[in-house]
Amino acid sequence: MGGQPGTTGCSDQPHSVSSSDDRSRFVRTRVAADAGSAARTRAEFGVWLERHFTLGADQFSDLLLAVNEAIANAAEFAYCDSAQRGTVDVSAAYDGDSDTLAVTVNDQGHWRPKVPVQPQLRGRGIPLMEALADEVTIDRTPHGTHVTLTWTDLTGPGLSA
Amino acid sequence: MGEQFGDSVDPTAFEVGKHQVDQAVVLTVSGEVDMLSSPQLAEAIETARATRPAALIVDLSKVNFLASAGMTVLVTAQAEVEPPTRFAVVANGSATSRPIKLMGIDSVLSLYSTLDSALSSISGE
Repeated sequence: MGGQPGTTGCSDQPHSVSSSDDRSRFVRTRVAADAGSAARTRAEFGVWLERHFTLGADQFSDLLLAVNEAIANAAEFAYCDSAQRGTVDVSAAYDGDSDTLAVTVNDQGHWRPKVPVQPQLRGRGIPLMEALADEVTIDRTPHGTHVTLTWTDLTGPGLSA
Repeated sequence: MGEQFGDSVDPTAFEVGKHQVDQAVVLTVSGEVDMLSSPQLAEAIETARATRPAALIVDLSKVNFLASAGMTVLVTAQAEVEPPTRFAVVANGSATSRPIKLMGIDSVLSLYSTLDSALSSISGE
């Protein structure tokens, strides 16, 4: 499956290095805040989930979608009023003792939905996260926005059969 | 800067196919519908809508990921379709109908679990 460092001529891609991931953590730092990078990071998070956990189809989809929405919000809103495209840090930490997964998505921008349009059409990301995760915190600071999505009883007997 | 563009775009394999079943135009979508691909879905729906078919059905049966951006496209399409045309969505699964229902969008969309049920419902009226 390739993956050799090789001679790609571009070694400055820390988010593509996954050798430090294990069951207790998934880390991608300085991911470009754009749609393509969001898709790639989502896919990598999905691979990590599948590799380390046995989840039901609904549960897996819920996790992937919630994390996607957090990254997508950062990609769409965090830097829309700044000239320079920013980055997003995504990390997941799993604690086996409490069977809890916490995913954080941090950016250095300010979420600012561009033009308010019909509420029916916009702003579904945060309600989605709230519906999909057990707990959602969104911490807006002058230096960025920090989203934490938490799932408890990740692998536990919560869901039967 | 080390930026790379245009290479190694993930094989998320978003595709939209179009075919006609009687009076209905069916858009068969596959792959991932996210903020990257949803503009293409919007464009395909818009193109199909412009021909004013009796029915326009977006079949998400082969979609393995549906983000809020994709849901917005569906809700927008529902709002923009004009009377002679009826709009329906086919979805059934953890990645598609589940978030659609979680968000209550099934109350504004005509949602079917199979293409056959969508087609027969539309032709039966």
